[in-house]
Amino acid sequence: MGEIDLGVDLGRGLRLRSPVMVASGTFAYGFDAPAVDRAALGAVVTKGTTLRPRHGNAPVRIAETPSGMLNAIGLQNPGVDHVVQAFAPAWARWDLPVIVNVAGDAVGDYVAIARRLDGVPGIAGLELNISCPNVEAGLQFGVDAVLAGRLTQAVRQATSLPLMVKLTPNVTDLVAIARAIADAGADSLSAINTLVGMKIDVRHRRPVLENQVGGLSGPAIRPLAVRAVWEVAAAVSIPVVGIGGIMTAEDALEFLLAGASAVQVGTANYVRPQAVCEIRDGIAAYLAEHGWSTLAELPLRAPVHV
Amino acid sequence: MSAALRGARVVQGTTLMAGGVEIVCEWPLAAHVRPGQFFQMAVESPGALLRRPYSAAWTDPARGLVGFVFNVVGAGSGWLAARNAGDRIDLLGPLGRGFAIDGGRPAVCVAGGLGIAVFLGLSRALAAWGRSTTILYGARSADQLLPAARFPKTRMQVATDDGSAGHHGRVTALLSGAVVEDADIFACGPTPMLVELARWARAAGVPLARIQVAHETPMGCGVGTCLGCALPCAGGGYLLTCQDGPCLTADLVEWAQLVDAFHG
Repeated sequence: MGEIDLGVDLGRGLRLRSPVMVASGTFAYGFDAPAVDRAALGAVVTKGTTLRPRHGNAPVRIAETPSGMLNAIGLQNPGVDHVVQAFAPAWARWDLPVIVNVAGDAVGDYVAIARRLDGVPGIAGLELNISCPNVEAGLQFGVDAVLAGRLTQAVRQATSLPLMVKLTPNVTDLVAIARAIADAGADSLSAINTLVGMKIDVRHRRPVLENQVGGLSGPAIRPLAVRAVWEVAAAVSIPVVGIGGIMTAEDALEFLLAGASAVQVGTANYVRPQAVCEIRDGIAAYLAEHGWSTLAELPLRAPVHV
Repeated sequence: MSAALRGARVVQGTTLMAGGVEIVCEWPLAAHVRPGQFFQMAVESPGALLRRPYSAAWTDPARGLVGFVFNVVGAGSGWLAARNAGDRIDLLGPLGRGFAIDGGRPAVCVAGGLGIAVFLGLSRALAAWGRSTTILYGARSADQLLPAARFPKTRMQVATDDGSAGHHGRVTALLSGAVVEDADIFACGPTPMLVELARWARAAGVPLARIQVAHETPMGCGVGTCLGCALPCAGGGYLLTCQDGPCLTADLVEWAQLVDAFHG
């Protein structure tokens, strides 16, 4: 399949050799996973990184649910300074873009992190996690178009790095928020983050997760994610990266056909460490089977408006 | 790290006792598996998503075998228990830190329920070091006990919740009579048992650094990427069971915080 070019352009110079990335929080900072060939990855999106180190939530942090899992890790991470000093120098030697996922409690946090990462060798882009509660406004940045737009604009002014913004699905009007973020200068959007869910331990009559609620990921959320990508991709002119329960190449193709330019694979990494590699190969095989040589040739059929 | 990902052929699956199943798999690199290390097993039952972490109960390096002993508690373990000889199970491992077994001091092993599994291999390894070994073994009832014949050259004292075998009560009640002054303690079982063991050790003046526990907890990845298997750290923050454990000395753990986190 040497003639197949799986390259994608996510704007502002962020070019991937494969459309299949590993999603934030499922690959730490790229150093730990055994049995994964880094050369097979389109990009690594790191664990959510905050201004200062965070210990994360008390256990229990994860729970399996039907075809899915809940997590409430609580953004355990070593902080941006450690990322710059300990990790970025290694990334600079990799032939692989590393996108740092950025999280914060206030616009100023995000701006400070973006400034700290700007121009650091080894860092290819930022992905903003806007599912964090805004300490000033008392609700998540990602649930309000005005807040999300303001945050994106502030970060845009603080960095020349390619900027991807990760949409939360826990909203009533995802398209309006996506438009506001695109208008504020994001280079791409990723969709979707986890859905807020809960599991109760009936035997002990209490929530399983110490945090009570957690983010639901895995195949259970895939149809919701495909629908979100379909709607967002039709509404914005920047690339959309599809995320949500992708386990196989066929799953990834659903997102690409729904309008995504690329995808991120998350929970599948826990189950099948070679998932990203298999999905990339499966996409290439699908293109070859249909006589196409690039992803741009995938025929996106026009939405049927009702 | 010698972790590998491969389909392992099942050699044998046996029901050992009420609710307890033993699966024996071909694993050519069995010599590299240390007592207390674990494998992530893929399951294919409908709706089950994550791999199941199971400690290697024992290994047979000469024949290239690894044995697993576990409870059937749900669809995932049920699927694994239903594997027959010749079937394949997708294994990732060995993972994590095993027990440190070198030394010559007497060993006291404390097992609760299926926590006994890891002592099948550990007791052999301790015997190979010439260490005198006593196993204190607690279970709900006599029919849930792994047969003592599986532990040759090892003294065993039993406790059951219903009194149907051995001491009537918790296994931790046997500690004071069994732990000689210079003994090393190895423990695997439900978290409340480990918490009680740590409490007993403090009261008895036994240094927590002399106790190695194998901590069992739900896991996502098993390799340090999901951060799902956090264990409160004595100095603040969290350890990861999959990387800092599952075997670690009891002085590293903030046991008071665990009392609330893991229940039953």
